[in-house]
Amino acid sequence: MAMTMNGEVRLQAPREEVWTKLNDPEVLKSCIPGCESLDKKSDTEFEAVATNKIGPVKARFKGRVTLSDLDPPNGYKISGQGDGGVAGFAKGGATVTLTPAEDGGTVLSYAVEAQIGGKLAQLGQRLVNGAAKKLADQFFEKFAAAVNPKEQA
Amino acid sequence: MTGTGIGAAVRRKEDLRFITGRGHYTDDISRPGQAYACFLRSPHAHARIRSIDTSAAANLPGVLAVLTGAELQADKIGNLICGWMIHSKDGSPMKMAPHPALAVGKVCYVGDPVAVVVAETLPQAKDAAEKIVVDYEVLPAVADPAKAKEGPQIHEVAPRNTIYEWALGDKAATDAAFASARHVTRLDIVNNRLAPNALEPRAAIGEYDAGSDSFTLWNTTQNPHVARLVISAFVGLAPEHKLRVIAPDVGGGFGSKIFIYPEEVVALWASKRVGRPVKWTCDRSEAFLADAHGRDHVTHAEMAFDDKGKIVGLRVHTIANLGAYMSTFSSSIPTYLYATLLSGQYAIPHIYCEVDAVYTNTVPVDAYRGAGRPEATFVVERLVEVGARELGIDPPELRRRNFIKSFPHQTPVIMTYDAGDYEASLRKALEIADYKNFPKRKRESARRGKLRGIGFSTYIEACGIAPSQAVGSLGAGVGLWESAEVRVNPTGSVEVLTGSHSHGQGHETTFAQLVSDRLGIPIENVSVIHGDTDKVQFGMGTYGSRSGAVGMSAIAKALDKVEAKAKKVASHLLEAAEGDIEFKDGKFIVSGTDKSATWADVALHAYIAHKFSGQELEPGLKEGAFYDPTNFTFPAGCHICEVEVDPDTGEVTIVGWTAVDDFGVVINPMIVEGQVHGGIAQGVGQALLEHAVYNSDGQLVTGSLMDYAMPRAGNLPSYKVDMTVTRCPSNPLGVKGCGEAGAIAAPAAVINAVTDAVGVEDIPMPATPQAVWSAIRSRAQPRQAA
Amino acid sequence: MPTVSMTVNGKPVSAEVEPRTLLVQFLREHLRLTGTHVGCDTSQCGACVVHVDGVAMKSCTTFAWQVEGCHVTTIEGLAKDGKLHPMQEAFREHHGLQCGFCTPGMIMAAVEMVYRKGHDLDEKTIREELDGNLCRCTGYHNIVKAIHAGARAMRDSAGA
Ligand code: FES
Ligand code: FES
Repeated sequence: MAMTMNGEVRLQAPREEVWTKLNDPEVLKSCIPGCESLDKKSDTEFEAVATNKIGPVKARFKGRVTLSDLDPPNGYKISGQGDGGVAGFAKGGATVTLTPAEDGGTVLSYAVEAQIGGKLAQLGQRLVNGAAKKLADQFFEKFAAAVNPKEQA
Repeated sequence: MTGTGIGAAVRRKEDLRFITGRGHYTDDISRPGQAYACFLRSPHAHARIRSIDTSAAANLPGVLAVLTGAELQADKIGNLICGWMIHSKDGSPMKMAPHPALAVGKVCYVGDPVAVVVAETLPQAKDAAEKIVVDYEVLPAVADPAKAKEGPQIHEVAPRNTIYEWALGDKAATDAAFASARHVTRLDIVNNRLAPNALEPRAAIGEYDAGSDSFTLWNTTQNPHVARLVISAFVGLAPEHKLRVIAPDVGGGFGSKIFIYPEEVVALWASKRVGRPVKWTCDRSEAFLADAHGRDHVTHAEMAFDDKGKIVGLRVHTIANLGAYMSTFSSSIPTYLYATLLSGQYAIPHIYCEVDAVYTNTVPVDAYRGAGRPEATFVVERLVEVGARELGIDPPELRRRNFIKSFPHQTPVIMTYDAGDYEASLRKALEIADYKNFPKRKRESARRGKLRGIGFSTYIEACGIAPSQAVGSLGAGVGLWESAEVRVNPTGSVEVLTGSHSHGQGHETTFAQLVSDRLGIPIENVSVIHGDTDKVQFGMGTYGSRSGAVGMSAIAKALDKVEAKAKKVASHLLEAAEGDIEFKDGKFIVSGTDKSATWADVALHAYIAHKFSGQELEPGLKEGAFYDPTNFTFPAGCHICEVEVDPDTGEVTIVGWTAVDDFGVVINPMIVEGQVHGGIAQGVGQALLEHAVYNSDGQLVTGSLMDYAMPRAGNLPSYKVDMTVTRCPSNPLGVKGCGEAGAIAAPAAVINAVTDAVGVEDIPMPATPQAVWSAIRSRAQPRQAA
Repeated sequence: MPTVSMTVNGKPVSAEVEPRTLLVQFLREHLRLTGTHVGCDTSQCGACVVHVDGVAMKSCTTFAWQVEGCHVTTIEGLAKDGKLHPMQEAFREHHGLQCGFCTPGMIMAAVEMVYRKGHDLDEKTIREELDGNLCRCTGYHNIVKAIHAGARAMRDSAGA
C-alpha cells in the first residue's frame, strides 16, 4: 500500500543547526508520533517503539529507524519499519532536503513514502493516506518547534 | 398424494428452529472444558520465516499451547491436498506445491497461518498471539494473475508460477473455422475475484477422546465425509474409523465450505496435544483472508460467425489464478467445470480453449457458486451479445439462430447435452419481460434523462455432479455418486440418511417430500438425517447443484428397495402371492380384492416378524443405495435484465429481472424459486458491486465488509421467476438442479444490459458507478439518450 | 469484575463480566442464548440484532454494561406462550430464509421496523430499512415479501 506525498517547512535556524538536530536522538524521539523509546544502536540506527492508530487499528510498533544517504548538511533519508504484531506492519521513509533560505533560515522539504500491510492494510487502507499525512505533518511540526524554540514561547 | 408430494410448495420443516433461534450452528456448540484457538497470520504476501519466538506468548496466563509448523512437522501431520489431477498440454502433471496447515519456512499470502495459540479463553488466546515474534525476510510478491508468470517464483515445484497449461478442443479445426469466418468478435474479459462470504463464518471444534483414541470434529462443512477422508488419508491425523466429522446447521456455503482448510486440521490436532476440546471461530475480517475466493480469470476470447450469423468457431485463452496453494478442488474449476461449458446453448462446431493456471501471493481460489460455469457463461454470452450488436442482429434472434435444437447433442468440448428446449425458455422470458415494448420504455426513460438498457443471458450449466467413471477419466480423485439409507421404524415413521448436506437448500423438506410422495405417509413422519459421519455411512456432500439429481436419486433407489421388501412382508401379512401385491397411496392391496394393509401395519410386521420365518425373509425394514449418475444434468434458461443508468453519476438501477429456467422436474417450486433469487443476487453482486482487490504488494485492500460491497436489499429488485420443463432423462426423478443457475446467468445479463444502456462494447466488472461513468465519458460518439 | 444486570426475554439476569464483554457475547456465552448470531466484526451484517427497550440494536457493537437495567428481547423471546410471533410465521410462510443464519437478526429488525414505520410497508421502505442487515442466501426477494405480510399480520393479531 505505497503512498507518497511531499511537504515543506520553513525553519528559522541555519542549516548546520537543523542538520545537527536531525541527527539528535532526543529530538527525533520527541518528534516521532507516539514514540515511547528510541535507543541508539549506532550513529545511523535506532531501535524504536511507537504506538499509533490507523483507522480502526491501533498498534504498538516495534522496529528500527535508519538514517541513510547522509549528505551533511544537505539532507538524508530517514526510514522506519515497524512490526505491529497481529495488526500488521508499517514501513515508511522521508527524504529530507535542507536548503538555505534568504533570511538565514532553512527550508526543509520532505518526500514521504509509506506502506502498510496485514490488518492495517485490510481495514485501514481507505484511511492510510490521511493517517500517513497526519503522522508526517506531526513529525515535521514538532521538529519545527524543536528548531524554533522562540516560537514555542 | 396430497399437498406434500413432489411438486408442492411445502413450507420448510427446518424453519421452525431457525425462526425461533434454536438452530445449532458450529459456534453455538460448546464442549465441556473447551479451549479456544486464535491463529497468527502472515501480514506479508510473500516472506521467508527466519525465526518464530513463542516464548513470551507461551508464558501468558491461560495459554495452553503455542504451536507452529515445526510442531506440525514433528508430529508428522501431512499436507493439505488438491484432489483433481490436471495434466498440461505436454502431458506433465500439475505442479502441486506442499501446503502445510501452518507455514513451514515461508509464507505465501497475507493471512497464511503461521502459528496458533490455544488458551482457556478467546481473549487470552488473542492477547498471546500479539506476543508471538516472527522475524520475516520479506520477498517480492505477485498478486495479478496476468503478471504471475513473470513474477517472483513462489514454489520450487512451479517454475514461472505455472501450475498447468491445459487445453481442450481441436486447435487446427478451430483455427481453420476462424480463417474462413465472415466476422470475428473479440473481447478481453476479467472475471473479477470474489469473496464468498457465507453469512456464517467458518468454525471448527476438535475433540480428542483418549479413552477410545478417537477424534470428533464439528465443522462448518458442506461435505463431512470428504473432510474425514482427506484428514485421514492425506493429513494423517487419525484413521478414518477413529474420526467422526459432524456438520451441524451450516449457515450457507456457496462452495467455500467444501474445502478442507488448515484451521479444522489444526483444531483437531491441537485438541490431542492439549487434551481439551479446541474451538476456533473465524472473524469476518479473518474470513476475507482465510476462505478460498472465487473466479479471478483473465481471458481473451474470440467468436467467429458466418454471413448468416451462425457461430462457426470459438477460441478462448484464460489465465486462472489459483492463489498461493492449490485448494481441494481448485484445479478442476477453470478446466472441466469451465471449458466444457463453452458451447453454451449453441451448436458451435469448433471450440478450442487454453487455460493457464498460476500461483500468486493471494489466498487460494476454488469453487464459488457456479464454479467455472459462470465464467464460461460470461465469456459466451458477452461474445454473443457483442457479436449481435456488431452484426446488427437483434440479440435474441442471433441466439435463436444458433440454439441447439435436437438432443442428445454432442458438443466439441466433451459434454453430451441430454435434453432441453432453449427456444421455449427464451420465448417465455421475452414475453414476461415484455421485450416488444422495450423501445417505448427506453424512450420514457430518456425523457427522464436516464439511459435504459436490456441484457440477455441464455445460459447452460452442467450439474448433478457427476458420473464417477467419467470424472475419473478426467482426473478426479474421487467418485461423485451419492449414498442414501432409508430406515423404516416399527411404527412406520421413516428416517432418511443422506450423504448430501443442507446448508440452506431445504433438504429436510424436499427429501421428505419425495419419501412422503413415494410411501404415502405424512411428511411429519419423515426425518432427514445428514451431516454426521457416524450416522451416515458415506456421502460426497452438496455442491455443483447435485443434491437433487444425485442425492435424491440415491434416496429413490433405496425407496425402491424398501418398497420391494415391504411388499414381501405384506404378502405374508395378507397371505397372498408377492406378485399380487400392489402398493398405492400408502396401502398394500391384493390386486383384484379388497384385502389391504396399511404402511404402518407392514412396517410393524417387518419388525415383529411373526408372520414369516426368519429363514425365508430377514426381519426389519431398512435399505441403502449408492446412486451413480449416468450423465451430468444440463439446467438451462434465459435471464433478462433491464437497467436504468444515471448518466450524471453512472449509477445503475436494475428495474426489471426476468428468469425463466428449465430445471427439469421440480420437487418444491417455492424452494427452487428461492434458490434462483439467491443466485441472481450473487450474480448481480459480482456484476455491480463485489471485488476482492489485492494491491501490487499482495495486500488485500477490500478485506472487510466496509470495503467489500455485498449486495443489500436496496441494491436488488424483485425478480420475476418462471420455469419451463424438459424432463431430465439421466436420473429417475427427472430433476436437473437449481442451486447455481442465478449466479451463472446473472453477470452476463447485467453487463449486457449496462453496456446496451451506455452504448459501449464493454465495462469491466464490477460495473461500479465510477466505471460506468468513465465508460459514458469515454464513448467516442455519445449516443443520444433518445 | 463488574456485575451487569438486565432483563432478558422477561427474566432478570445478572452476572459478573469483564468490562469488554459485548452484549452478544453476554447473550451467547453467559446465557447460552445462541439464537443471536455474529456474522461480522465491523457492524455491517445485522445478524446480531436484538431489541433493547423495544429498540433494535446491534448487540455486537454494544457492551453488556451499556444495557444495564434494560429490557432485552432476543429471537428466543419473540414467541409468546408457545405461539410464534406473526413476523416469525411470515418468514416461514414466505420462505424468507434459507440457511437461517441471518434470520434472527432479520426478524428482530423487521419487527422493530413495524414499530417505527407502521403496518403498511411498501417494498421501497422495506428495502431501505433493511440496509443494516445482510443476507447471502435469499436475494432478499422473499424477505421483503415476508416483512410486508408480517407487518400486516402484526396489526391483525394486535387487533384480535
Ligand atoms: S455481527 Fe455483524 S452487525 Fe453485529
Ligand atoms: S438465509 Fe442464509 S444468510 Fe440469510
